[in-house]
Amino acid sequence: MLNVDRYAYAVGRIKVMETRLLDRDRIERMVEAKSAEEALKVLSESEYSDYLAELADVHEYEKILSAELLRIYRELRLLSPEEKIIAFFARKYDYHNLKVLFKAAHLKEQRPELLLPGLGNIPLEELVRAVSENDFRNLPLRMQEAAQKLVAKFAEDGFDPQLVDLWLDQALYAELADDVRKRKNKYLRDYFTSLVDLTNIKTFLRVRRLQRSKNFLAAVLLPGGSLDLLTMLDLSDPLEVILDRLASTPYAQVVAEGVQLFQQTDTLTRYEKLADNFLLERVRQAKYVTLGPEPVIGYLLAKENEIKIIRIVLTGKINRLPVEEIRERLRDVYV
Amino acid sequence: MEIRVNPTRMEYNRLKGRLKMAERGHKLLKDKRDELMRKFLELIRENKKVRQEVEAALSRSFANFLLASAVMSSAAMEEAVMYPKAAVKVDVKTENIMSVRVPRISVAAAGEEAEDATPYGFADTSAELDSSLAELAGILPQLIRLAELEKAVALLADEIDKTRRRVNALEHIMIPQLQETIKYISMKLDENERSSLTRLMKIKDLVRGDETA
Repeated sequence: MLNVDRYAYAVGRIKVMETRLLDRDRIERMVEAKSAEEALKVLSESEYSDYLAELADVHEYEKILSAELLRIYRELRLLSPEEKIIAFFARKYDYHNLKVLFKAAHLKEQRPELLLPGLGNIPLEELVRAVSENDFRNLPLRMQEAAQKLVAKFAEDGFDPQLVDLWLDQALYAELADDVRKRKNKYLRDYFTSLVDLTNIKTFLRVRRLQRSKNFLAAVLLPGGSLDLLTMLDLSDPLEVILDRLASTPYAQVVAEGVQLFQQTDTLTRYEKLADNFLLERVRQAKYVTLGPEPVIGYLLAKENEIKIIRIVLTGKINRLPVEEIRERLRDVYV
Repeated sequence: MEIRVNPTRMEYNRLKGRLKMAERGHKLLKDKRDELMRKFLELIRENKKVRQEVEAALSRSFANFLLASAVMSSAAMEEAVMYPKAAVKVDVKTENIMSVRVPRISVAAAGEEAEDATPYGFADTSAELDSSLAELAGILPQLIRLAELEKAVALLADEIDKTRRRVNALEHIMIPQLQETIKYISMKLDENERSSLTRLMKIKDLVRGDETA
């Protein structure tokens, strides 16, 4: 049996599930809704209706979103012939949990509400045990190394919350990059490379705005991208030069448009939105694949994107933001 | 109403002394009250200005924060900011305004790279978080100045209240009471004097009548 043939059943089901994704019209109706309650009602005609009954208050919308995310991961894990595909995307939640545990341990607090049980690949109890006993042997190699490095560093120089995030992010992306190399799947590679590149360009602009050093920049740029920003760009370059240097990359348009607004208002809102849309466009290529892991990945990312959109709309509605402010941040949809 | 006292000359002198003292105290306290009032109004005006500034800045950065939280999941957001990195040293001294001790709070950022208020990684956080946190960090000194002013205003108001009560007590109760008592004693003394005078005259008459008889 060919490798991709195993996906026949999964892709069939995914195609059906795709029809249940929120389409542009629904989102538009939510944006135009007069109140948060009304926006929520739009969801009652969708996959989210099951959670709505249990929801006492609109303000608890985050519960719906996390419940849906959990459901999707659970379902796709069962559905996908290769669990590894889902594990790839779930890995960020392991790292999230580890970050929370590290910080909570140093705050001497319990913050169970920040942990995301059930989403990641590593059981939460294992992570809790690892952090409390300083024993990371059972964790994946990259994570283990980063965690041990952190513990050693803190023993010497004291705790630094930013280092937790930085080093674990580095480990996460290094691990993902390893995976991408191993899988030799063009779709996954294209998506991941773009994700890293766009994040790095954004990080570059953020570091530049915060006026931090080049050393700091080197520590925050993520591995696994196609651009070597450290040699391509300099923090002291004016924006025009930066645009120019990036003009030959696939991200030229995103950067050009995003930076335009950055110059005027000093916010990267537009860039973040354009970058997400760019990635979604990459993700959409999965639609043209009939057999293989691509549609599964595509659906997963589409769902994560959808959850993000709902969050933006509902946060906006609850706080009565003007419709334009919401639209400004609204991402494209997959379908 | 007067105070119950023995109408003696000694008591009379003692009360006169007290009255003089009360009047002097009254005048001093009134001056103190006026000066406190002046300072108070000054502080209130500044307080109002700072409060308006702080509130405007806060609502602006809360709005920013809100937008940042809209594009990030709440768990990622909370994780990013759960452990603050920038430390601030706050030093409280006291300052004397008309013998009211008001706090003087000075803030100093502690530690190197203290201007850096981003205790999180950049991989899964929104750039909107940077600006809203930077703005919040910028408000802190003003916020502390506001706390200082509000406390000073509250303390001054308290002191003004106390002083005014004292002034009123002196003006409307203590001083009239003393005055009345003094008047009572002096009338009683006069009365005594007159009665002893008439008694003397009467006795003199009696003695003289005996001689002529």
